[in-house]
Amino acid sequence: MPENCDPIIEVRDLYISFYTYAGVVKAIEGVSFTVCRGETYCLVGETGCGKSVTSKALTRLIQAPGRIEKGRVIYYPKPGHPIDITSLDEGELRKIRGGEIAYIIQDPSAALDPLYTIGFHIAETMNAHGLVRSIREGFREAVKYLNKALMPDPEERVKSYPHELSGGMKQRGVIATSLSTKPKVLVADEPTTAVDVTIQAQIMKLLKELKSGEGLTLILITHNMGLVAEMCDRVAVMYAGRIVEEGAVLDIFKSPKHPYTRALLNAVINPLVRTSKLESIPGTVPDLIRPPRGCRFHPRCPFSSEICLERPPSFLIGQDHKVACWLYKDEAQGVEG
Amino acid sequence: MSDLKRFLLRRALTFIPTVIGVTFLVFFIAAVLPADPAKLWAGGEKANPQVVENIKREYRLDRPIWEQYFFFLKNVVTNEMVSPVSHNKVWEDLGRRLPVTIQLTLLSFTFIVSIGIPLGILSALKRDSVIDMLVRILALLGVSTPVFWLAYLLIFIFFTRLGWITLAGTPVPPYSITGIPLIDSIIKLDFHTFKQVIERYWLPSLVLAYANIGVIARLVRNSFLDALSSDFVEFIDARGLSSRRKYVHVLKNAMVPVITVLGLTFGGLLAGAPITETVFGLPGVGRYLIDAIRFYDYLTLMGGVLLIALIYVTVNLLVDISYAIIDPRVRY
Repeated sequence: MPENCDPIIEVRDLYISFYTYAGVVKAIEGVSFTVCRGETYCLVGETGCGKSVTSKALTRLIQAPGRIEKGRVIYYPKPGHPIDITSLDEGELRKIRGGEIAYIIQDPSAALDPLYTIGFHIAETMNAHGLVRSIREGFREAVKYLNKALMPDPEERVKSYPHELSGGMKQRGVIATSLSTKPKVLVADEPTTAVDVTIQAQIMKLLKELKSGEGLTLILITHNMGLVAEMCDRVAVMYAGRIVEEGAVLDIFKSPKHPYTRALLNAVINPLVRTSKLESIPGTVPDLIRPPRGCRFHPRCPFSSEICLERPPSFLIGQDHKVACWLYKDEAQGVEG
Repeated sequence: MSDLKRFLLRRALTFIPTVIGVTFLVFFIAAVLPADPAKLWAGGEKANPQVVENIKREYRLDRPIWEQYFFFLKNVVTNEMVSPVSHNKVWEDLGRRLPVTIQLTLLSFTFIVSIGIPLGILSALKRDSVIDMLVRILALLGVSTPVFWLAYLLIFIFFTRLGWITLAGTPVPPYSITGIPLIDSIIKLDFHTFKQVIERYWLPSLVLAYANIGVIARLVRNSFLDALSSDFVEFIDARGLSSRRKYVHVLKNAMVPVITVLGLTFGGLLAGAPITETVFGLPGVGRYLIDAIRFYDYLTLMGGVLLIALIYVTVNLLVDISYAIIDPRVRY
């Protein structure tokens, strides 16, 4: 954790499982992290590593057959006022979910109900959180938020149905909907996977502007290392349901420690390191019904040894740089988790 | 909403060629049948040739077919079409019997909607439970049970054994607003007549509805589950809406395909009515048309088919309109 961190969300030792026909999928095991107020925190990893599930668990959005087995999510609306999200009742939780912690979900074209206008979505959300008294009043407010999300021609677009909008406009509609409750935390789950590269750049620019303009804390979930470098203050790299490395974005890109992080960065173009050849990571993502013992990366790791059959703790190896790998046992300045 | 208005206008205009097409089909199907109607109407093989000639002239059977068609069309519009068998005006004969068929199908439709839709939602919410399984069985039985067999079985139980129903006459109140006792009694709040109508019609309507209830329930179940698993539902949760709001969204989305099928079902009910009317002794249009076929009264037959087709086309128009109101994507 950085020295001057004022925590807004704290995740402590989270365990999530999915009870499927094939068996119990241990999707998240012992994930802990802290998001500081006002920063952009990134969860990065490949598909199925549990980054989306973790982001959903922040407001207990996990649906059956998934279940939060263990762990706490603490939300601090004001410094020093913790709310334990994991023990709230549904009604209380609903005020925070979508109200103080809002989401932008992956596919904008599917996130909106095709039978209702953009304006209705915004008005309905505001109404549900008691910000407007009627849908009609919310409709007038909606234009303001569409404007903030840089929707072209917002007075007209407020009356548009999702099928009348382009992918980028839909994503702006989704962002406007999420902004309409004046959230403190915005969780963006791969907000640009479904749109093309030019729109992606526009959306990211918008999120950056909104973050400083509205005083948001942004939690960005992505598999795109380029986005991480561009957007994030701090990064947590996830592999097979665990955080393997966490640190400031520069530390991670300049001196990645965990073999998985290094392999991940070798697989994409890194602007900070001269690379002659991009490498792939041998092997495949493990089956989480029967995950490997100890360090979950060890079957694919070139540096694995006997000790890797034991689960590594998070070693603190520099200011605010943590890595869950036995290689750093000796140079560790401390141990967490 | 201007989109919607334009759609409605265009859809209403297509109604006209559809109706003209229907008259055309109805006429030619009847006209090309290889039989000599004039001789049949005059009394069969031993008929007086002079009478046969008169009938031929009266009904333009000696004229080219297109002239026959326009003669038919003119008589249909001006209510001059007279049945050569009953010697009554065809529209008046049919008009007397129409309320029976309408009451039967309306009540049957009410059964389908009020049982099928809730049952479907219930089995979607309690997926893979006992209820879901029972609905599945009901749908299977519904499509595989012959209507006449079920009808006679129920008549045996409710009429012969229990004596709960009657099989003769239909209640007609002393007043008439729409001409349909069921609707009139509701408008007038005449509970007595309403009860009589229900008592006479509930069983035939249920028999007619039976095949469709399970099918609609299954359709509602599947499209409800489809809607429930869409991404917008996830976003509804993430927006922190109440579960009541969530189900409003899901239900509205689930209804889009259901409405289409309900419209088609209405046509199926009209087509199934003749059997039900015959078995339960209801003097409706369907039964009248079966009689018309027996006497080769093809003018009545054409009138009846035209009438049913008109009802069907109108119902389809209503379906399309409600479809466009619910789903903005079809308004173009």
